Amino acid sequence: MKNFHVAIIGGGIIGSTIAWELSRYKLNTIVFEKGSDVASGTSKANSGVVHSGINSRPTSLKAKFCVEGNQLFQQLSDQLGFSVKFTGKYVIARNNEEIKELKKLKQVGEQNGVPNLEIKTEINEPNVPCEAALWVPTAGIVSPYQMTIAFAENAAINNVEFLLETEVVGIKKQNETFLIKTNKGEFKSNIIVNAAGLNCRNIVSMLEKPDFNIYPCRGEYLILDKNYNNLVSSMIYPIPPREVDVLGVHITPTIEGNILLGPSAEFIEDPEDKKTTKEMMNQLLIEAKKIIPSIPDKGVISAYSGTRCKLASPEEGRWADYRIEESKQTPGLINLLGIESPGLTAAPAIAKYVTELVSKHFDLKEKTGFKVKKQGKRFNELSKEEQSKLIKKDSRWGRIVCRCEHITEKEVIDALSNPLGAKTLSSVKYRCRAGMGRCQGGFCTQHIVRIMEEKFNVDVKDINLKSPESYLFVGRTREVKND
Amino acid sequence: MVEKEITCIVCPIGCKIFVRMDGTNIKKIDGYKCKRGIGYARSEVLDPRRVLTSSVLVSNGEWPLVSVKTSKPIPKNKIFDVLKIIRNTKVKAPVKIGQVIIKNVAETKIDIIATKSVK
Amino acid sequence: MIEHSVDVAVIGGGPAGLAAAVSARENGAKDALILDRNSWLGGILPQCIHDGFGVEETGISMTGPEYANMYTNAVKKQAIDVWNETMVLEFNKKLEITAVNKKGLHKIKTKSIILAMGCREKTRWNVLIPGDRPSGIFTAGVAQAFINLYNILPGKNVVILGSGDVGLIMARRLKLEGANVLGVVEILPYASGLPRNVVQCLDDYDIPMFLNHTITCIKGRGRLESVTIAQVGKNMNILPETKQEIKCDTLLLSLGLIPENELSKGAGIELDNITGGPVVDQDYMTSISGVFACGNCLQVYDTVDALAVGAKHAGKYAVTWKSKNDGLKVKSGKDVRYVVPQKITKKGTTRFTLRVEKSMQNVTFYVKSGGDEIFKKKLRWVNPANMVEINVDISDKMINSKKDLEVSIDG
Repeated sequence: MKNFHVAIIGGGIIGSTIAWELSRYKLNTIVFEKGSDVASGTSKANSGVVHSGINSRPTSLKAKFCVEGNQLFQQLSDQLGFSVKFTGKYVIARNNEEIKELKKLKQVGEQNGVPNLEIKTEINEPNVPCEAALWVPTAGIVSPYQMTIAFAENAAINNVEFLLETEVVGIKKQNETFLIKTNKGEFKSNIIVNAAGLNCRNIVSMLEKPDFNIYPCRGEYLILDKNYNNLVSSMIYPIPPREVDVLGVHITPTIEGNILLGPSAEFIEDPEDKKTTKEMMNQLLIEAKKIIPSIPDKGVISAYSGTRCKLASPEEGRWADYRIEESKQTPGLINLLGIESPGLTAAPAIAKYVTELVSKHFDLKEKTGFKVKKQGKRFNELSKEEQSKLIKKDSRWGRIVCRCEHITEKEVIDALSNPLGAKTLSSVKYRCRAGMGRCQGGFCTQHIVRIMEEKFNVDVKDINLKSPESYLFVGRTREVKND
Repeated sequence: MVEKEITCIVCPIGCKIFVRMDGTNIKKIDGYKCKRGIGYARSEVLDPRRVLTSSVLVSNGEWPLVSVKTSKPIPKNKIFDVLKIIRNTKVKAPVKIGQVIIKNVAETKIDIIATKSVK
Repeated sequence: MIEHSVDVAVIGGGPAGLAAAVSARENGAKDALILDRNSWLGGILPQCIHDGFGVEETGISMTGPEYANMYTNAVKKQAIDVWNETMVLEFNKKLEITAVNKKGLHKIKTKSIILAMGCREKTRWNVLIPGDRPSGIFTAGVAQAFINLYNILPGKNVVILGSGDVGLIMARRLKLEGANVLGVVEILPYASGLPRNVVQCLDDYDIPMFLNHTITCIKGRGRLESVTIAQVGKNMNILPETKQEIKCDTLLLSLGLIPENELSKGAGIELDNITGGPVVDQDYMTSISGVFACGNCLQVYDTVDALAVGAKHAGKYAVTWKSKNDGLKVKSGKDVRYVVPQKITKKGTTRFTLRVEKSMQNVTFYVKSGGDEIFKKKLRWVNPANMVEINVDISDKMINSKKDLEVSIDG
């Protein structure tokens, strides 16, 4: 049985950034991810916002890690290649009551150390009517799955082991070591980092009686066709509404050029219930049109939902701070509980903090030869000259497989060759974007399937959409008979 | 006397044709817009037939399947027998469009022919 | 970029592009080039292994591949150049096309461009079907490609949403391949596909059709597990007491087609919001001189035969056009959803294709020039799913009057 220094449970943004920080050091680290790829849960299904910190309660960990994390994004983007864009955010006010709220929000932001906040009476958004707005220049957007994949793959090339489709089913503590039972075998580790997101309580309960509950809170989103991306350039948020049945829909341009409407916020029983509902989808459109009247009725190309891991119920006020700490009852178990918004922003800062916690157990010695896998530009982002050069070097850059987003055969092949070994249609989608356009895989799916069959020897029955149960095909129209 | 209502399938219009018959004696046919409708209606009530289209496995070809059809309409009640034979057939590339893949399939005196070429 | 020049470039090698390219050469084009993104010619035809193609055009009922073969033979005979696995990235008003393939980036200078990009299928999100997002949901055309071209079966227990021709054809196909086809769900009170397909695909195999129904929820964590269907009332509102859950593992969506005009938009071509395709004149010329549009990217056709008539016409005029003229607008009046062409620039017998707003019986179509009746035709039965064709004589007097035309029903 292999022995590890650190076992990270959960390959979301939290687990992946921690894995990357730890991968600098001479440690044996392993990540268990129950999905077929990293970012299978909440990490891929959020707004992709790099928050400034104005929405967090002063002196909370949320505020601290958010502001610290925000400041790290540009440098991490330059290093690892995932895109970040500081579009800024307008929190808009449509009457005097709301303008008062803007002022309060500005104060909170300043308390949290958010720089350059300004209340403006005229905003640079011709499609957004308002009386005044709080301009937040340090707010930005990122692709949350692209970012998670960048951290995870960089950790992997620096010798962190990633086990996908691996679920932790039991943990025992034996002296100074944890015995971790998974569906893929047993492992030993000195430290466990519980970054299991919505499953964080299940993990804790394998070792001790949890002193907390989690309250899954689902958020639905609509994605608009790229044809409408000229409606806004910055993020547009209304003042958080007082009425219970009003969502306060955000309008967020995405890094790839779409527009996101959402999220909603609905407390649900089953954290795995990721359905989108007619009520919410309609309400998102109606409310979005109140903020930007020119949003079209028929511009939606896709919808999704993500679930927040809240530590406080509606009765308890829905707000609780992050709990990032080593368990007193179970030394060696480092828990990350309730990592909801601004989790994506906070992740790089949280990862540094968790590394400090780990350093209390081991003498962290830096590795030599730390490798970097920097995400390159997409084919469609290059100049015609650069494109021609690439095609000359490798003709597979010249065959376009995704008509909506102009993704090439080479990019699909690179996506399938990822260091984590993820080979689902979604793992292709989240790395190179094929399938995310307005035709939603109508053209590219058949070509991606052919590439998986021919070039990667995946049997048709083993081609999955996103999880081990999400098979695409049941077999062949005509079976090959043995002659 | 029985009156049967048939939707003609010969062309996209799909005329509703009414056939009045006494046992197997056809007394009257009306509702058709062209002569082909008469022929279709007659056969549909006495001996319903269909053109069957399907696929046959190809070995060593640029495509794994070749699309095929029955050279003439076959009796409706033979469709699944014919399909069984098609499913157990394999043809070697190259296949030429119009090539006979199965002769006199299921004793219908009708052939299964390729509708495309596969190199 | 590698530079080329050709008289006529056709974007798309499906039935429209093929017919247009052949017609262009027959009408004197010095040379012609077809650019297609697939490794084959014929577009959607090779996967349409069923028959029914070409009945009006040739008198013979052919399968899709046979119909395509008829044209690819003509393409060879006419020495038309074909570039497969080539994606057109853009074209401009100067009639220059930028395309990419394994040989590199290409700049193609032309004397005329024929747009024949076809269409794409509506997805689940175009109609916002709520529920889980499991695997097992395919648009009907994609499922058809897998079964017929790639020898791959998508599922065993199938529900089909939408009774258009593609959905009906796929119901039969799956049944013949051993699947359990549980039913076709259609929101209208009648099937939207051809009656012959309802007979041959559903009635023949006892496949039930749920008319006046829609899908209200999709369930499935990994793979699809069930769909909930319900009846709709007169205002398309869901009647909750009629909900029923159907266990299945595959859902095929046959919700309709959307003309593909991203390239047209990129070049600044004027589009018609209702058809989804370019605004064209009687010669199928778009708002850019020398750019023509035909086939499903212009409007969604019901039969390949009707499509071929327009494509051949576009091919001919792509060669013989001299200049672009101002013309009369053609408006769609009462109960007419749209009319193509939307512009008339010269006299002659013009073939109009149109669709009506709703199902009607015993209607009279009127064409008026500035309010004066110039054409009248009676039809016994019309519905939005069946394109109507009318041939109207346009005179010089009408052109010179500069009065717009209007096509309407019953005055």
